[in-house]
Amino acid sequence: MKIFLLLVLFSGIGFLLIDNLRFLSNSGFSLGAATHYYVTQGFEQTGALNLVSSILYDFRAFDSLGESTVIFAAVSGIVSLLSRKTLPVSSHGLSIIVKRIFGILTPFLFVSGIYLILHGHLSPGGGFQGGVILGTISIVFCIVYGSSFDYTRYSPQSKTILEVSGALLFLAMGIIGIFLEGFFLANWFSSPERLGKLLTPGSIFGINLGVGIKIGAGLSIIFYSIIQKRIEGK
Amino acid sequence: MTLIEYFLLVFLFGAALSALFSRENLTSIISLSIFSTISAVLYLLYRAPDVALAQIVIGAGLYTAIFISAISQIRTDRQKNRPEDPLQ
Repeated sequence: MKIFLLLVLFSGIGFLLIDNLRFLSNSGFSLGAATHYYVTQGFEQTGALNLVSSILYDFRAFDSLGESTVIFAAVSGIVSLLSRKTLPVSSHGLSIIVKRIFGILTPFLFVSGIYLILHGHLSPGGGFQGGVILGTISIVFCIVYGSSFDYTRYSPQSKTILEVSGALLFLAMGIIGIFLEGFFLANWFSSPERLGKLLTPGSIFGINLGVGIKIGAGLSIIFYSIIQKRIEGK
Repeated sequence: MTLIEYFLLVFLFGAALSALFSRENLTSIISLSIFSTISAVLYLLYRAPDVALAQIVIGAGLYTAIFISAISQIRTDRQKNRPEDPLQ
């Protein structure tokens, strides 16, 4: 009976989802005042071709600072709860075929992550997505090459330094905005002839870089804290 | 709304139900990963490539790794403690 009620509920939700999507794809959106300003003025005001990135890291940069503070608090809490200062559980990894093929694939994954971070203001993507790709590389290292591969080469202390430096880069962009433009996290780009180039928009580029480093190191720290061997009691 | 979106929505629904109602934890995690992949394709069809990138990297890559490591920790603890438990 309970399963029948759940099935009715879920099929109703699924029908609403399909109907809502059909409704959305037939009728046009009507833009509000703030949305209209962002869509029409976003490129000239911020210099970022990617409108999502210009909203995330320029118009709503303070919200992004709050989000990265939340992630920083989560990483700190997980490390302080789970860190035992012992080597992780040792495993030998997968077969030699998987190891060789992932060895070939790793540079391309790394380049795609770096591309997403650096081109965050030009193409879809941004610091968060690229940083998660960089963090996923070290997680797949643990799965493919055994759990002590990444841990012995890149210590958690260096990852912590990377994460803190990413967060400080974000804050430094905000403080540079105070000195150059007059308010916190202001975009200090002032060269309209270089619109659309890689190194143009001042604070968006730096914030993307900082968020990417911070997210990648933070997710890697979380994963390697979880898989560490716990010593019960003694 | 094209035909492929209907197919993807049906498979999305099936993957969500499988993640909810399967008894094995590993099956639930893999179903959740399939759910994330299908929803990333849907986001791409609805022209949100940012969200699609985030969904496929986080949902299919990161969640799976973190859930599997957490569940493997629980399992090793249980298997380790079982022969030492005097009540059994």
